Amino acid sequence: MQIDTTGFFEALAAEMNAHPDRYRLYGEADMDPVLVMRRPDGDFRVRLHFAELRCEDITEVDESETPLSDFQLDGDLEAWEGMFGDIRANGSATGLWTINSLALMGDKIVVAGNDPMGTDKFSRFNQTLQEFLDGAARLDRAATAS
Amino acid sequence: MTETASTDTAYPGLPAESPMGAPLDWAWLRGAKSEWGVHPKPSPRGLTLMDIATGTYADVPDAPRDRSMAPRGCDVDTDTPDMGYILNGKTDMWSDNVMELYEEAVARQWSATRDIPWGDLQELPSDVEHAMCQLCTVLCEVEMIAADLPAKWMWRMNHDFIEAKMFLCTQINDEARHAEVFRKRALANGGGLLLSRSGPTSLLRTIIEAKTYTQATALMHLLGEGLVLDIFRMGELIAPTDVEKRIFRMCMQDEARHVAYGTMHLRYAVEHDPDVAEEIHEALDHGETVLTDFATAPDISTALAVLLARGTEDVETKGFPLLMELNKKQFTSYLARCERAGVSRLERTKIPLDLLGIDPATIRTAAA
Repeated sequence: MQIDTTGFFEALAAEMNAHPDRYRLYGEADMDPVLVMRRPDGDFRVRLHFAELRCEDITEVDESETPLSDFQLDGDLEAWEGMFGDIRANGSATGLWTINSLALMGDKIVVAGNDPMGTDKFSRFNQTLQEFLDGAARLDRAATAS
Repeated sequence: MTETASTDTAYPGLPAESPMGAPLDWAWLRGAKSEWGVHPKPSPRGLTLMDIATGTYADVPDAPRDRSMAPRGCDVDTDTPDMGYILNGKTDMWSDNVMELYEEAVARQWSATRDIPWGDLQELPSDVEHAMCQLCTVLCEVEMIAADLPAKWMWRMNHDFIEAKMFLCTQINDEARHAEVFRKRALANGGGLLLSRSGPTSLLRTIIEAKTYTQATALMHLLGEGLVLDIFRMGELIAPTDVEKRIFRMCMQDEARHVAYGTMHLRYAVEHDPDVAEEIHEALDHGETVLTDFATAPDISTALAVLLARGTEDVETKGFPLLMELNKKQFTSYLARCERAGVSRLERTKIPLDLLGIDPATIRTAAA
């Protein structure tokens, strides 16, 4: 599935919402990040709304709405494809392809935000977000099995 | 218009004496002047501190009248003893996100006994196991400062700031768990605890001996915990197996919560009492020198370099260059946190920015 679509993220949200036990270890999370995928023909921006153990909403947003999020993860589409490729190949992100490492290194995907209370949610809820993104591998497995 | 708990004439006919003849006082039933009937509405997850911050119970005074352990919002007797609090101003410890952080801490607890896949530990090359155990030794040592420090100050904090004290209790519990998990890791895989030398303890002593709580929190949350948070963020690069990765990931989230409190507390303090900024700067002037000694202390830097290189063989070609890059990020993160807290260190820092290749303009722009 193409990753720069709301359909892809809606599928990830459905995967998360169907398996709350997977997220219970990390605990409840409330955050609204925007993922920005830079493309030559116009950027794709999607806002994810997490509440408790669920991803409640997926919305494509434009540039003017991006600062309203808690934080933004911003990188070229190629970088995002690299991350999801690693997740699909290994079942979950590994090493430098975890969202934490990508943001730490800051050369492919950067974390940014206007509100410090929002921006630090990236670290506070990091593993919930990682588990959500790792759902891409489970989607693949489900697609193969069906 | 708020409703008070009762009136002096309510419940007539109550006895004036107990069956043993002792005088009875029914003031709580018919005389309390506190607010009654606020009916907070639970949010979808349950009844949170934010939900019950309603009516007069939401009012957190800048300078509380009382200095007792009476819960904020109740009707306090004028002759209630003074508990000797010395932190009686809201600017002394408050943070606008403290209620959310408390709820978050409670919702995201984990167990170092159950939630780490200890059974998946693998035998590691001796140099890597030694490096991991040395790092665990240092972390066991430094983590508990973030428990001892709030414990030192909490009993001096006015009880009207109960939410801040409650959050600090969660921090103490978190740090106990961190000390636990790193002690367990050091012992669990055929190794043990290794060297403790003066570098870490000098930093810890600087923190615990801070003259004020605000200075202490600047040293602990911004400097100390911020540095450790960035070590945890490096977890994917330094962890030899998925067991250590899980440990670093879980600790990282806790540590980020503590840093979030400290950063926003300092911001609140500086915004409401600009004079406090100089007090914070003075603490950080000294703290940065000690921090640099800590971050570059041989027992830590060598252990991290070996872990980054996956062994001693490539420590010079891979380990130390990567560590230098990560050190640069640690200090950049610290300076950005100071910006967010409203205590810009860019013109005053003791950290050798040129040597580390840190461009202040980048930090200023990122934090703007």
